Amino acid sequence: MEQNDRILSVQDLHVKFDLRGRVLHAIRGVDLELYRGEVLAIVGESGSGKSVFTKSFMGLLDANGSITGGTMDYYPTPGGEPVRLSCLKGEKDWLRIRGREIAMVMQDPMTSLNPLKTIGEQIMEAVCLHQGLKGAAAREKALEYLRDVGIRDPEQRFRQYPHEFSGGMRQRVVIAIALACSPRILICDEPTTALDVTIQAQILQLLKQMRQKYHLTIVMITHDLGVVANIADRVAVMYAGDIVEIGTADEIYYDPRHPYTWALLSSMPQMGVKGQDLFNILGTPPNLFAEIRGDAFAPRNPQALKIDFVKRPPYFSVTPTHKAKTWLLDPRAPQVEPPAAVKLLRKEASVHDRTR
Amino acid sequence: MTGPAEKEVLLEVKDLNITYGTGRRAYDAVQQANFVIYKGETFGLVGESGSGKTTIGRAILRILPTSGGEILYKGQKINGRISRALDKQLTKEIQMIFQDPQSSLNERAKVSYIVGEGLQNVRPDLTPAQREEKVRQALLDVGLLPEFASRFPHEFSGGQRQRIGIARALIVEPEFIVADEPISALDMSIRAQVLNLLRHLQKERGITYLFIAHDLSVMRYISDRIAVIHRGRILELADAEELVTHPLHPYTRSLLSAIPMPDPRREREKTLLVYDPAIHDYSAEAPQWRQLRPRHWVLCSESEAAQWISQEERS
Repeated sequence: MEQNDRILSVQDLHVKFDLRGRVLHAIRGVDLELYRGEVLAIVGESGSGKSVFTKSFMGLLDANGSITGGTMDYYPTPGGEPVRLSCLKGEKDWLRIRGREIAMVMQDPMTSLNPLKTIGEQIMEAVCLHQGLKGAAAREKALEYLRDVGIRDPEQRFRQYPHEFSGGMRQRVVIAIALACSPRILICDEPTTALDVTIQAQILQLLKQMRQKYHLTIVMITHDLGVVANIADRVAVMYAGDIVEIGTADEIYYDPRHPYTWALLSSMPQMGVKGQDLFNILGTPPNLFAEIRGDAFAPRNPQALKIDFVKRPPYFSVTPTHKAKTWLLDPRAPQVEPPAAVKLLRKEASVHDRTR
Repeated sequence: MTGPAEKEVLLEVKDLNITYGTGRRAYDAVQQANFVIYKGETFGLVGESGSGKTTIGRAILRILPTSGGEILYKGQKINGRISRALDKQLTKEIQMIFQDPQSSLNERAKVSYIVGEGLQNVRPDLTPAQREEKVRQALLDVGLLPEFASRFPHEFSGGQRQRIGIARALIVEPEFIVADEPISALDMSIRAQVLNLLRHLQKERGITYLFIAHDLSVMRYISDRIAVIHRGRILELADAEELVTHPLHPYTRSLLSAIPMPDPRREREKTLLVYDPAIHDYSAEAPQWRQLRPRHWVLCSESEAAQWISQEERS
């Protein structure tokens, strides 16, 4: 991936919230390059800042939150002039970006649709507003989106209300509305968490197809590393308002370097051995009201080094596409073995290699 | 694992039917459910939303009336009309852990009241001081600090709230716990903590679980045996490993194919099986509950049985 292929570039972003006089430092200096046409997964626990981070792309931060440092540039066309998102002020500026350039699919399809309007009206609204179509043409276009997202009998479904749809179908409608804005970047905030496993797999497949058809760049937010293995090109692991590790999917799953990524991978029930304890991350995420010294994950990491409590680690590159913020990658650091589940995944990867 | 003959049956569900509504608006939520839960095991009930899994759990707790069949607990019928003494015994012995820790705790009550409320009912002989001591112990058992007793639920994180819910169930020393999706609403790292806690409690106290979930990967880890339910009918029942490695019913296969694995290369190549109930032709022959492999039952017709077994052997 080349430098000029990026669509969004975030440098040292800080977001703070003012909560009754106390300051919550939600995003603590995040760097991120998002490349055109890729699927990037952002993985983290609740409170890690993954939703706040992506909401800042669209100017959707709550009124008491603001960007207090860093820059955010959006490149609408390859090599073209960037739009500095971090400097946009006021709804008027944001309306040119929101929906039209960057659209969002929310977690819960039960609450993101208007229960008083038909599905058709809600898709038409996006089509009229963002594509400038009217009347029959807009209707035709809206039907096409419904067909795209795999809804049978679109003519009939068009006139129905959200309550007449199942959870999976509603999420398809939400995706159709997002597509109707014809965005370049689609942010999906836990799009499958509220759905059954079988429906979840179908929605992921749908997103893959839509990405092909509409040349989308997709940012997937999730707390479940299992869900995104299927769809992600790259994975960013967030902890306490910072991206602690980022790399291609293969690098993150088969060769993770940050202790937090190790912990996330090995605490999955899929990796558990019956009758044995699951790997367990001790404690709770750090308090973001207080200033964090050193590596934010150190207090929960039994193998933390002394320096982890003193100095915040910078990014260490593993490969050109893979970097992690952990002192373990420093040449002076002692060798620390990853947990068994991580080694197991690595072994599976080498089995894949041999069968090729 | 020991054979079924050596195990003591704790709960038996026989031809259970549960209907919502009456007359023309009647809806059969559960039809002809049959299963047995042995003492000390974890029995998993897996299905999608709307499959009737929670309905069965609630019927066992006598929150919902049944419309046919029997639920036997330690050999005694517990659905329909029962004596007061039995009712009291069941309240003590069967408890529930709820899915959503955000909505299952009384926001206006202190933790001490939430956890200790059951004792007032089940153990009226205790003095307030003794009750307080029990609450302390229950909180310690689930890995919370006894000081938390004087706090309110909003002061806790999701994982801690779920622990409070578990403490509330444990305090009356139940023998059987219905856990309805106890980890679905929790974060990944907290899930592991709660699963470990449930497993340790089982080991220490010999508690039997009915574990209800929609996620087979969690089931495989926690359950001894798994029943798969779809649209109110139990389709397949087997030991956990057997079910996962030798699934017979197409619905179970589709569920298994949908489990997300943290393995990108395998994920990219996997084919998703979609289950279409229309493939069954039961017009000529009604499906029956058959044992097709050792300790492995499937709801199917005779021709399907032969077909699925040969399909399984080939794969």
